[in-house]
Amino acid sequence: MAKHIAKRILITIPVLLGLVFLVFFMLNVVPGDPVTVMMREHVKEDLIDRMRQSMHLDDPFIVRYFRYIWDMLHGDLGISWKLNRPVTGLIANAFPYTLKLAVASSLFSWIMGIPVGIISAVKKNSLLDHLSMGISLFGVSMPVFWVALILQNTFKNVLPISGADSWQCYILPTIVLGWSSAGRIARLTRSNLLDVLRSDYIRTARSKGLSPLKVINRHALKNALIPVITVMAIQISSLLSGAAITESVFAMPGVGGLAVEAIKKRDMPLLQGTVIFTAVLIIAGNLLADVLYSVIDPRIRVE
Amino acid sequence: MSNILEIKNLCVSFASDGVKERAMAVSGVSLAVPEGKTVGLVGESGCGKSVTSLSVMGLLSDNGRVESGEALFGGQDLLRLSDREMRRIRGNRISMIFQEPMTSLNPVITVGKQVSEALRLHGGMDAKAAKARTIEIFEKVGIPEAERRFKSYPHQLSGGLRQRVMIGMAMVMRPALLIADEPTTALDVSIEAQILRLMRDLQRDTGTSILLITHNLGVVAEMCDEVYVMYAGEVVERANVTTLFDTCAHPYTRGLMASLPRMTPKGQRLYNIRGTVPNLRAMPSGCRFSPRCEFATEMCRGEKPELNDLGGGHLCRCFYPKDDERPLGGIDR
Repeated sequence: MAKHIAKRILITIPVLLGLVFLVFFMLNVVPGDPVTVMMREHVKEDLIDRMRQSMHLDDPFIVRYFRYIWDMLHGDLGISWKLNRPVTGLIANAFPYTLKLAVASSLFSWIMGIPVGIISAVKKNSLLDHLSMGISLFGVSMPVFWVALILQNTFKNVLPISGADSWQCYILPTIVLGWSSAGRIARLTRSNLLDVLRSDYIRTARSKGLSPLKVINRHALKNALIPVITVMAIQISSLLSGAAITESVFAMPGVGGLAVEAIKKRDMPLLQGTVIFTAVLIIAGNLLADVLYSVIDPRIRVE
Repeated sequence: MSNILEIKNLCVSFASDGVKERAMAVSGVSLAVPEGKTVGLVGESGCGKSVTSLSVMGLLSDNGRVESGEALFGGQDLLRLSDREMRRIRGNRISMIFQEPMTSLNPVITVGKQVSEALRLHGGMDAKAAKARTIEIFEKVGIPEAERRFKSYPHQLSGGLRQRVMIGMAMVMRPALLIADEPTTALDVSIEAQILRLMRDLQRDTGTSILLITHNLGVVAEMCDEVYVMYAGEVVERANVTTLFDTCAHPYTRGLMASLPRMTPKGQRLYNIRGTVPNLRAMPSGCRFSPRCEFATEMCRGEKPELNDLGGGHLCRCFYPKDDERPLGGIDR
C-alpha cells in the first residue's frame, strides 16, 4: 500500500517538470516585451536594456527555465510585473478566499449530488427521478457565468452579489459552482448505482434476506461510489485552483480572479505562477483520487 | 414423506421494452421437493428453470411478475408473503447458491464479512460470535486456512474456493431448503466433483432438501433423487432418477439423453435435437415440443398434451410416451 502510494508520488515529478516547461515555453513565445509592458511608453533605450539585464531576460531560454525551477523549488515564483510584488505572496493572499469557496461548493455538491443520485436510482423512472435528473442536467449544461448573472439578478435584494466580506457573499457563488458539480455527481451516482443494482452480488445480498436499505447501504454504495469519488477528488482540486469565471463575476479576490487579472494585464510571472499552482493542485487531486481508489477498492491494492 | 416445498401451477411473465405483450417464461409449473431429498430441475437455457427458483425466492427482476400459482413452504404460500416476511425466510430457512461464484460475491467486502452477515441478521449474533461461527463453517466447507481466509477478498480466491464460500454462506443458517442454480457450471470438472461431494456431505449432516437446477445430466445422475425436465416453460417429464435414466419417456428427454457423449459406438456422430427453443411470445399451438419432435403427428400439432402419469409417479407430457417401436434418430438409448 505505502509502496503503491510512493510510486504514484514519484510519477508526478516528471509530470510536474514537463508541465512547468510547457507553461514556461508558451508564455515565452507570446509576443510582447515585458519591459515595455512594465515601463509604459517613452522610456530611454538604455534604461530598457539595463532593466532587461537586471531581470535576466537576455539569458538563453534554457538557463532561465532552470533558474525558474530552482527558484520555484525555493517557493519563489518571481515578481509580478504589474503589482511589483512576489507572485507567491499574491497567490497566498488570494488562496483563502478560493479555499473557502471550493470547500463550500464541494460540500454543497456532495450533499446535494450523492443523495439525489441515490434516490433517482432507487426510484428509477419516477417523476422524482426525471425532475432531479432534469435539474442536474441543467446545472451541468448551463454556462456558469449565465447562471451566475441570473442568480445575481434574482437575489440582488436579498443577498450580496459581489465581494467576499461576509459569509453571505459566498452563498451565490457556492450555488453556481456547486450546482454544476452536484449535477455531474448526481448523474454519475445514479448511473453507477443502477449498474451495480443489476449485478449478481446484489442478488446474492438480497438472497440473504437483507432489507433493501441494507442492500444499498452495505453492498451497492461502496461499489457504485468508487468512480464518483474519483470525480469528486478531481473536482475539488479544480475548484481549489480557482473558479476563474465565477470569481470574476462575483468580484471575489481569489486565485481564479488573480489569473484573469494577469491575463488582462499581460503579467507573465503572475499568470505563470497561477497556472503552475493550478496544475500542481490538479495533479495532487488526481493523486488523491488514485490513493482513495486503492483504499476503497481492494482489487486495486498492489500486493 | 412430506414435501418441504410444493410449487403449484406457477406462471411467470416478463415485460420487455417496446413490446406490449408480456412473455410467459413459466407456464403452469408444478413441482415438489420432498424433505431431505435432492430434486433436479433440468432443461436447456431459457426454459424457465432459473425463473422458477427466483420466483420462489421472491428475487425476480423488476420486469418479472408472478401471474398465478402457489409455492407452499412450511404451510405458507411464499408467493403471497409480504417483502418483510419473505426476508425472514430468505437466507435463513431457504437459501440459494448461484452459478457464477466470480460475480456473485461482492468484490469490495471480505468473504468472512459476507458470510457472517447472515448470522448477524438471522441468528442475532454479535460480530465476534458470527466470526467464530463463520470460521467454523469455512472449515466445514473445506476452505484451508479458514482464519486467514476470513479476511480475504473474493478476487484473492480461486473459483472453487469462491463457490465453497457461497455454499458456506448458504448453509450457515442450516436452511430447510437449498436452491442451487447451476452451482458447478462455471467450474472445471475436478472442482465440480469436489463441490458436489461437499453438497452431499452437508446435506447428510443437516438434512437440508436441495432443489438443484442444472442442464448437466451427469450432475443429475450423481446428485438427484427425483428429476423434473422442463421445456419452454413447462414440465414435460417427472420421474425418479433411476426411472429417468432407464426408461425416460418424453422425446425431449430422450433427445437429451441421446445427445450425451458416450464411449460407444465409435465413430458415430453425436445425436442432436434439431431446431431451436420456441420464442416465448410465439409458442407453437399443441405440444410445445412438436416442431422439433421426430415423432410429432397432426394431433401433437393441434392439441396440447397433459402431464399423464405413466405409473409410479412417472409423469410425461406426451401423446406417445416412449415407444420402443420407434427408436430415436435410429439410435435408441
